[in-house]
Amino acid sequence: MAHGRPLLEADDNPTDERLLIEAAQRDPRRFAELYELNFERVYAFIARRVRNREEAEDLTSEVFHQALANIQRFQWRGAPFAAWLYRMAANAIVDRWQSVSKEDVDPRRDATDQASLDEIEQHAMLYQLVDSLPPDQRRVIIRRFVEQKSTREVAEELGRSEGAVKQLQLRALENLRERMGGAHG
Amino acid sequence: MAKPSLIDQLDQAIQAMLAGATAPRPAVDPRLESLVGVAAELRDLPRESFRARLKSDLERKASMAAAAVNPIPQGFHSLTPYLIVEGADRFLEFMKQAFGAEQRLRVPKPDGKIMHAEVRIGDSPVELADANEQYPPRPTAIHLYVSDADAVYQRAIQAGATSTHEPVDQPYGDREAGVKDPFGNYWYIATHKLAGEGKFIPEGLRTVNIYLHPTGTGEMIEFLKRAFNAEEAARHESPEGTIAHAKIQIGDSILEMGEAHGPYEPMPTGIHLYVADADAVYAQAIQAGATSISEPADQPYGDRFAHVKDPSGNSWFIATHIKDVQF
Repeated sequence: MAHGRPLLEADDNPTDERLLIEAAQRDPRRFAELYELNFERVYAFIARRVRNREEAEDLTSEVFHQALANIQRFQWRGAPFAAWLYRMAANAIVDRWQSVSKEDVDPRRDATDQASLDEIEQHAMLYQLVDSLPPDQRRVIIRRFVEQKSTREVAEELGRSEGAVKQLQLRALENLRERMGGAHG
Repeated sequence: MAKPSLIDQLDQAIQAMLAGATAPRPAVDPRLESLVGVAAELRDLPRESFRARLKSDLERKASMAAAAVNPIPQGFHSLTPYLIVEGADRFLEFMKQAFGAEQRLRVPKPDGKIMHAEVRIGDSPVELADANEQYPPRPTAIHLYVSDADAVYQRAIQAGATSTHEPVDQPYGDREAGVKDPFGNYWYIATHKLAGEGKFIPEGLRTVNIYLHPTGTGEMIEFLKRAFNAEEAARHESPEGTIAHAKIQIGDSILEMGEAHGPYEPMPTGIHLYVADADAVYAQAIQAGATSISEPADQPYGDRFAHVKDPSGNSWFIATHIKDVQF
């Protein structure tokens, strides 16, 4: 269970992030901490640019394996570690497109565009916040959005009424909106 | 018709959104718009199972990298014969007497039989174990290079082996003899005369070399190329067009083979194959047509280990050394 993992805090403190990177360069087993901090970011960056979940998972996996294999080559120049990951993600997506079909937007531009990066940051934070929801709300959100089940299916699975599931769904979204700090309005 | 409640409106909006971009979006109460906004962002919520699986994959890779141990343990090469016999204890003694084998490791079972043992002959390790129900005896052919084939042939006979042919000079520069040991293994005992001053092993070979006699050597070679990135180092065809002798490079070792004929019947054997990434090689071997016997798993003795059978029935024990363990 991922409850209680740090919430994207590395950016707030570049020194901490630098220490984590140096630790991972000395001992690759420390890479897990960088993964924990950046998984949602990379996934968010990729998921909105590909067609389906399988492709998003495939590419996310590719990016982190590549990052682990090349961690020694990462040189700290003040840019966040995530920027390096986004560049790898963008290249991986372009490679995939070239082998499948053409798309008109180049994700490599998004990898450096501040507005896109802010949006990714927001998505990533939201994904992490789902883990901090009360368990019954979290269960509904996962079944509804990840497993894409209908309210009725979720109700049957959890042994609740449809009304109760809809209520939990509402509460969960309200909670997330609140925890996102009113970013949605 | 009564207007749906806020809760129902929200659910309908989410359902339409999950149905895809082309589904018509029902109008929602303005108070719900920000919640629908949150919901829209949740469409790409990652699977927790994927997050966890990727983490454990990365951790495994990282700990392999951190251990910084050679994926081939000290004293081993890419290929090592794994001989399974009835009476491993006596077999060990035979190899000591006949070939000067030195025992390196011996793991007994409670009943005294040998679960696993390692010996060294010249520059090469040989592994062995007592047969059991799961692993019946598997006689193997070994091409053994020694400094004096005649003397070693005599010692093997004294130790209980039967002669298959007396020492003879071969046109390819080997003085060569053959014996069958009491456990069914064939030993082709040779001294290479053209190896240069003080040497007696041809370039690329070692003291102990596994020699296969498959039916369909060509197909076997193609399989090895696909499964283990093998390369053909040499191939000699017989006048009938079959492959009389081939040297197949796998990693740092050479596997020898020649088409089964006459007394040289196929003898599927056990081969311990050390590679840098057992998981990847396992997957590649399966893709190439091998049958899985056991999937890759970490072993208490410090190896990651998988077992596949090739189409000719040889067992490949695919392993990556991931950490040094003191016994």
